[in-house]
Amino acid sequence: MGRPAMHRPRPGDTSERPLLDLDRVSVGFADGTTALRSVSCALRANEILGVVGETGAGKSLLARTIVDLLPEGGRIIGGDVRFDGRSIPAMHRKEKARLRGGAIALVGTNAKALLDPVTPVGKQIARVARAHQQIGQRAAYRAAVALLAEVGLTNPAARARAYPHELSGGMAQRVVIAMALIANPKILLADDATLGLDATVQAQVLDMLVRRSRERGLGVMLITHDLGIVRHYCDRVVVMRDGELIEQGEVATLLDRPVKEYSRTMIAAARARPALQAAAEPTAAAALVAVRDLTMHFTSAETAEPIRAVDGISFSIHRGQTLALVGESGSGKTTAGQCIVRLQTATNGRIFFGGDDVTYVPERAFRSMRRRIQMVFQEPYVALNPRWRVADLLAEPFRLLEPMTACERTARVARLLEAVHIDPAFAGRYPHELTAGEQKRIGIARALATDPEFIVFDEPTTALDIRVRAQIIDLIRDLQARRSLTALFITHDLNSVRSLAHEVAVMHLGKIIEHGPTHAIFEAPQHAYTRKLLAAELAIDGRLGH
Amino acid sequence: MRWKDARSFILSRPGVLVGLTLLGLQLAAIMFAPFIAPFSPIDANPIDALQPPNAVHWLGTDELGMDIFSRIVFATRVNLLIGFTAVFGSIAIGVPIGVLIGYYRGWASTLAMRFFDFIQSFPVFVLGMAMVAVMGQEIWSVAIVLALLFVPMFARLVRAEVLSLRERPFIAAARCSGAGDGAIMFRHILPNAMTPVIVQVSISIGMAILLTAGLSFIGAGVRMPAPEWGLMVSSGAQQMILGIWWIALFPGIAIVLSVLSFALLADGARAFFDPRTRHGASGHA
Repeated sequence: MGRPAMHRPRPGDTSERPLLDLDRVSVGFADGTTALRSVSCALRANEILGVVGETGAGKSLLARTIVDLLPEGGRIIGGDVRFDGRSIPAMHRKEKARLRGGAIALVGTNAKALLDPVTPVGKQIARVARAHQQIGQRAAYRAAVALLAEVGLTNPAARARAYPHELSGGMAQRVVIAMALIANPKILLADDATLGLDATVQAQVLDMLVRRSRERGLGVMLITHDLGIVRHYCDRVVVMRDGELIEQGEVATLLDRPVKEYSRTMIAAARARPALQAAAEPTAAAALVAVRDLTMHFTSAETAEPIRAVDGISFSIHRGQTLALVGESGSGKTTAGQCIVRLQTATNGRIFFGGDDVTYVPERAFRSMRRRIQMVFQEPYVALNPRWRVADLLAEPFRLLEPMTACERTARVARLLEAVHIDPAFAGRYPHELTAGEQKRIGIARALATDPEFIVFDEPTTALDIRVRAQIIDLIRDLQARRSLTALFITHDLNSVRSLAHEVAVMHLGKIIEHGPTHAIFEAPQHAYTRKLLAAELAIDGRLGH
Repeated sequence: MRWKDARSFILSRPGVLVGLTLLGLQLAAIMFAPFIAPFSPIDANPIDALQPPNAVHWLGTDELGMDIFSRIVFATRVNLLIGFTAVFGSIAIGVPIGVLIGYYRGWASTLAMRFFDFIQSFPVFVLGMAMVAVMGQEIWSVAIVLALLFVPMFARLVRAEVLSLRERPFIAAARCSGAGDGAIMFRHILPNAMTPVIVQVSISIGMAILLTAGLSFIGAGVRMPAPEWGLMVSSGAQQMILGIWWIALFPGIAIVLSVLSFALLADGARAFFDPRTRHGASGHA
C-alpha cells in the first residue's frame, strides 16, 4: 500500500474556538415531523470529521442545515449553527449567500448532475471565483485552470474547455472539488462526494481531496456511509441515526470501542468478512451456462473503429455454482450480462444454456426460455414500473405462464415476499413507498418468481447501506443454499464477491484478464490490475499501520 | 378504499373542488337547460333587441332579441359535446398510434410521422371548410374536423414519451420477466405515458371551444341561430365598439370558466393518478 498516511499527528489544541459549532440543532418540517433532533458537534480548523449513518439518518440534511439550504418546508426549530462564533441562521440573506461557496463550500454526490451542462467547466469554476472575490475574468479563469491541475487533472487547459458530458465521473468529481476550493473556503462539506465512483477512482479522489484540505488547513466534514473511508481519512467521527447524534469521538476509539449498541451493530456489519465460498467440486456434468468468445461491439458515428465493449470472453458455470464477473465501470461486465439474458444480441460468439445454443434464437422463441433465465437489475427503483403495485410486479413473470385464480396468485406473491423476508402486507404498495433495500428485495423476488435455473445479478449490493448490504448478501447466500441457485454475479464490490462467489473472473477493457477460484484470486492475485482492484478496497480495520 | 382516497384527495385540494363545482354547473346546464333557461335560445324577438342586462333578461339580449342567458345555458350542450367528442375521439385514435410508432421505429412510423406533419401544416380553416363542404354544416362535422386536427397532437405527445420510456430499465426488466411487445406497450409503457395526455385534455377542450368559435365565425362551423359560445362572442364582437358589451362578454366568461374547470380538473387528475404525488400529498396532509 503506497498511500501516504493521511492522519495528522493529533487534532490540535481543543480549547481553540471551533470553526463550526452546531449547538443542539433541531430541524423540523412544515408537516410537523422533526428531521434533526438536538444535534451538537463541532468542526475545528485542520480537522476531518466523518459523519456516518444509514440513508435517512439526516446526514445530508445536517450539511444543508449548515449552509441554510433546507428543503422546502424545513426550518431550524431549535439550537444554533455558529460559524467562527457567528450564528448563521441569524445572518442576512446576502451574507448567507456570500458564505455558501465562499467560506463554506459544499461538494455533492453525482458531480455530473451538479455541473451546468452547457458551460465549459473552466468557466463554471471561474464564475464561482468571481462571485466571491474581486477578480478579473481572465485572472479567475487562470486560477481555475491552475486549480484543475492541483486537483489532479492532466492537461488542465484542455479540460477547462471541456463540457461536463465530456468528462468521466471521476474527472467531474475533481472539477466539483476544484469549484469548492476556488474561493478559498474555510470549511468543506463533502456529502457522499465519491458515491458511485469505482473503488480505485474513489481512493484517488479522496486522497487528493484530503491532501488539498490538509495543505489549506480546512475543516472538512466527510459525509459517508462507508466506514472504510472514515477509518482512512477522518480524525473524528459522528454516528447518526434517525436525525439524532448517537455517538461521536476519535476515529480509532469509536471504531474499535464503540459505546452505543447501534454503532456496534453498524461497525460489526461493515467489518463482517463472511467465509469464502468453498471452491467448486469438480463435476463431470456439462455446464449449465457456457459462454464462448462472446463479443459485443458498438458502432459509433464518431469513430470508424467500433467500441469493443465485450471483446471475446469465455466462461462456464456449473449447476449450483456462482461466478462473479468483477471489474470497474466501462469494463463491459454489464454488457456481457445483458447479452446472456438477451437484452442485447451479441455481435459474435456463442452462449449455451443447458447445452442448447441460445445466442441467436429469435426473440419470440427465446421468450419461453425467459422463465429459466432471470436477471436482477442494478438500480432497484428504476427497474420497477413506478405505476405498478408490488403484487402486480411480482405476479408479472408467472401470470402469463400458467392460468391461476386471483387467490392462488395472491398466495404465490405472499410466498415470494416471505422468501425475501418482506411482510406480505407490502403487496399493495408502490415501489416509491419502499426503501432501497426493500426495492432490491422486490427485484430479487421478481427474479425468483418463475423458479429460474439461472439468475444474473447486476450489482446487487451497490449503493446500499452497510446493514442492508449485509442483509442482501445473507439473503442471496440463503437462496444459494436452499435453492442451489446457479448465478452470475456482476459487481465491483469485492466484499460481496468474497462471500458469494465460487469463482471470480476479473474483467478489464472488455476482456477477462484473470479467472479462478475465489480464494485464489483473493489470496494470490496474478494480474497487476487485480492487485490494484484489491488494494483500492478501503478496509474498516486499519491496514495502514497507524 | 379508493373512494375514500378520492374524497380526502379532493378535500385537500381547493383547485380540484372549484373545478368539480364548475363542471357540476356545466353538467346541470346540459341536463336541465329547458328548466333553467327562461326563454327559448333560438327564437328571435326583434322588439327586445339589444337590451342591456335587466330583471327580465338577466344578461341582456343580442341584436336579434334572443336572451343571452338562455343561449349561454343551451350552448353548454353544443360546446361540451363538440369539445368532448373531438378530444376523446382523438385520444382514442391518437394515443395507440403514438404508442405504436414510438415503440416500433421502422419505415411505417416515419411514414406516419410525415403524414401527421402534413395534416398539421394544413391551415385549420381551409381544412375545416373543405370538410364541412363535404359533410354539411353540422355539429358532428365540426367535431370530426377538430378530432382530425388533434390526433397528430396526441400521437406525437405519446410518441415522445414512449421514446424515452422504452429505454428505461423497468422495460428491460419486464422483457426479462417474459412480457411480450403488446404487454410492454400497453401495460407498462402506456400508463406511464399518459400524464402529458391528461394535462393536454384540458388545453385541447379549451382549444376545441375556441376553434369551434373560429369555424363558426368564418361560416364553416355551427350556424346561427344555434347557440354556441364562440359564435355568440364573434357576433357580439361587432357590437362591442358601439358600447354594447354584454353580448360578447358573458359567453366569453362562460368560455373562460369552462376552460378553467378542465384545467383545474386535469391538474388534479395528474396528481391523483400519479402514485408518487398522491401518496406524498396525503402523507403530509
